[in-house]
Amino acid sequence: METSAKTRLFVAWLVLVAITVMYLWLDRSADDSDVVVANTAVTVTAIFLALVKFRIIVREFMGVRHAPVLLRRLTDGLVVVIAAALLGTYLVGRAVA
Amino acid sequence: MASADATAAEPVVEEVAHVPGEADMWFFVVFETLVFASYFCVYLYFRTQDERAFLAAQSALDLPLGVVDTIVLLSSSWTIARCVQLVRAGRYDGARQLALVTAGLGAVFMVLKVTEWVRLVHEGHTFTSSDFMQHFFFLTAMHAIHVVIGFVALGIVVHRLMNPQRREHETIETCATYWHTVDLFWVLIFAVLYIVR
Repeated sequence: METSAKTRLFVAWLVLVAITVMYLWLDRSADDSDVVVANTAVTVTAIFLALVKFRIIVREFMGVRHAPVLLRRLTDGLVVVIAAALLGTYLVGRAVA
Repeated sequence: MASADATAAEPVVEEVAHVPGEADMWFFVVFETLVFASYFCVYLYFRTQDERAFLAAQSALDLPLGVVDTIVLLSSSWTIARCVQLVRAGRYDGARQLALVTAGLGAVFMVLKVTEWVRLVHEGHTFTSSDFMQHFFFLTAMHAIHVVIGFVALGIVVHRLMNPQRREHETIETCATYWHTVDLFWVLIFAVLYIVR
């Protein structure tokens, strides 16, 4: 059991690092030239990936996967609230700009 | 005692549903996350109102360095999570070593962060040079303060693990939860400051 828990932590770390490195690709994919431009797809993807990482850290590293259901629901709700707040603010901001 | 637990095979530890650490720390995690998220909303709104200026200032950041920062902090989160696993398995020497490795990785993160601040200031990017830099320096400095407090939490972990009479698992889990929170904030800060367009 201890070995599988150790392996699971390592896999979680590996996934987190892979997502982080993906940001380099995401950043470069947005520009055809050296000119940096605003890009809604990059912004939405960046926030989405950050929240995926957030949930992995909470569940795997912080041990919420084995926590009582209340804490599991609370932390999942927190991810949803942050996603709604960040994406909502960004999209509303762009609409009124 | 020390050599015995260092060489012992890892015993089977039953995973039972429990709140990792003290419940108060989880109130702190939720509260602080909402405070940071609120600030991100302010940042994102102002960014959308003047995207060209924000993009111009943002281009001064070193994205590969930000990626390295993030990987270093993720690795520190991994090592403190392993530390907690070893504490639960009764392998206190290994746990103490991992807590020290975590602090070392935190120190590497801070050195990289200060290096980035110094480079930016030398290039003329300061707290008052642009709206983006104001948000950048404020958010990264607020995060750095949390990292420094995290060193205190890691110090408590090491101190507790050195003394067989003080090895309460709950305190160690609480301190580890705080350190993970530092990682959580950085994951969000990195996305909104370095990647968001």
